[in-house]
Amino acid sequence: MTNPKTIIEIRDGKKVFGNFTALTDINLSIRQGEILTLLGPSGCGKTTLMRLIAGFETLTSGTVSIDGSDCAGTPPERRPVNMVFQRYALFPHLDVFENVAFGLKVKGMSKAEVKERVNRMLHIVQLDNFANRYIDEISGGQSQRVALARALVNGPKVLLLDEPLAALDLKIRQHMLAEMKRVHTETGATFVYVTHDQDEAMILSDRVVLMEKGRIVQIDRPEDMYARPKSLFAAKFLGETNLFDATVSAVNGIGTTAVTPAGIPFLGAETADRHVSERITVSIRPESLSFQGGETAAQSAEGTVEDVVFIGSRSFYTVRLDDQSPVRVQVQRNGRLALPSIGDRTRVYWDSANIVMLPHT
Amino acid sequence: MSLSRTRTGALLATPAILYMLVFFVVPSLILFAYSFWSSASYRIVPDFQFENYLGSLASPVFWKVTFNAIRIGLFTAAITLILSIPVGYYLVYVSRSQTILYLILITWFSSYLVRIYAWRTLLGTSGVLNTVLLQFGVIDHPVSAFLFSPFAVTITLVHIYLPFCILLVVSSLSEIKRDLVDAARDLGTSSIGAFFKVIAPNAANGLVGAFMLTFILVAGDYVTPQMLGGSSGQTTGLLIADQFRKTGNWPLGAAQAFLMFGVSIILYVVITVLGRATGLIVKRRAKTEREI
Repeated sequence: MTNPKTIIEIRDGKKVFGNFTALTDINLSIRQGEILTLLGPSGCGKTTLMRLIAGFETLTSGTVSIDGSDCAGTPPERRPVNMVFQRYALFPHLDVFENVAFGLKVKGMSKAEVKERVNRMLHIVQLDNFANRYIDEISGGQSQRVALARALVNGPKVLLLDEPLAALDLKIRQHMLAEMKRVHTETGATFVYVTHDQDEAMILSDRVVLMEKGRIVQIDRPEDMYARPKSLFAAKFLGETNLFDATVSAVNGIGTTAVTPAGIPFLGAETADRHVSERITVSIRPESLSFQGGETAAQSAEGTVEDVVFIGSRSFYTVRLDDQSPVRVQVQRNGRLALPSIGDRTRVYWDSANIVMLPHT
Repeated sequence: MSLSRTRTGALLATPAILYMLVFFVVPSLILFAYSFWSSASYRIVPDFQFENYLGSLASPVFWKVTFNAIRIGLFTAAITLILSIPVGYYLVYVSRSQTILYLILITWFSSYLVRIYAWRTLLGTSGVLNTVLLQFGVIDHPVSAFLFSPFAVTITLVHIYLPFCILLVVSSLSEIKRDLVDAARDLGTSSIGAFFKVIAPNAANGLVGAFMLTFILVAGDYVTPQMLGGSSGQTTGLLIADQFRKTGNWPLGAAQAFLMFGVSIILYVVITVLGRATGLIVKRRAKTEREI
């Protein structure tokens, strides 16, 4: 699909609680079939945004429409969306089967059809043998899958997931991420996924909506957001990065040159919207720095190796540049290249293509 | 010094357990022994016979006042619970305000007897109710039936035990997370549907507990029925109290107290069984049945 249908549309959304503005200037189109992540630190409004879609909150101003129809005044029970709650919110008085069957029974579906649909869904989440267990008799990962099944069995136009993996430990979390992707592929539902975990967002999403203090700061594919953050906040929130305050010294057809107060020049490929003497922040990811110069890594700065951390195939170096700013360098260890040791003088190289110039804040 | 969890727990509970042993369990056992003794001219004779029990069970007066106590108890507890649930729901899921809870408890700062007299004043022939009705011409002479009637007893008992019942309802609803209500609504139930499908089944044990505790307190309360119920206010509590205070027949009073205790337990079982049979109280399948 080149032009997928928009399933949820939020226009000029604003939500105020008392004298606290939880959300403002929210404009968002969610496409049918995609996994969209609402990413941001706690308190950024991502959960409020999801609850607005679910119908648990109403906008102070602006509109939410689902599948083309404005849903102002539509209570949660009459919206074609379903939600997976952070703590699952499974019904303790019902067993797994009855939990999953809850929504279908409320809709008055026939017993036979309920049974067929629930069993099919339990099969998808691989809980066929747990249908008759009560909620306190299954593990966290299993509860997670029950919550997923209970929501998806209703065939929602959009599935809302509120930090569904936050309560699980790391190992199960990774397994559940893969599981979630598989279930998404099998059901073809649209997923809106709330998380504060950038890794989850990167692994899972087709698009990431990055939020800060009630505003959407960037909407992009994960790889684009990582490579081309549009703000200092985005650069810092997704992955690790080295930041340098600098002043633009030249803008021409090739790119923009910015110089740090200590005189380290950065030549970036971008030319748009920059003007001489503008203060900016230069961002370079640790993996974009290296100890070997070359045709593509023509820029460099000198410094002293301060610390080395080995993580399997990679090493993280902390190099104190001569202007006293520390930089983190990530290198793949392949045994062929000579790498510096702690205390060594060394030169750190980078390529103009990996320089991101951000507005100074 | 470090204590294991069980030992710490035991140590913390010891004062209360000792207190209850000395001032409740032992006196109850003494009373239980009394109930098999006999009484002759205001003196207790230590022999062993079942006459106190058998005589009471065969006495129409005993059953009349007991049914009266149960009727007042069930009726009042039902009204109190029905009034308490919306308030509890509001306090737990809507307002989450502690202030309102304290306001509810404020009525307990006034004496029990003062409140009974207040109701006597309100409901009496020259009371507020009669005056208002006279003013509006609804009645042309004061109605004495407001006071000394089951109506007066119920209205006063509900008033007295409502805060207590609200407290019990709030504590049983607090166990149930708001998320469950949201989840039920997300799955298509209205908020009232969510209450009956999710909150009520999960809170059932707590709500039945609230009902039964209110029932036991109300059924055992003989002051309000006596002071506001007139002849309709004869309850087992009053009968038992009279055995101790007036006739001096302690063994008979003790036996009747234990009979009332037994009746309360039977009622609790009956209500629980009825609740389960009608599905109001959710009963989990036994573990063996579960493996299909």
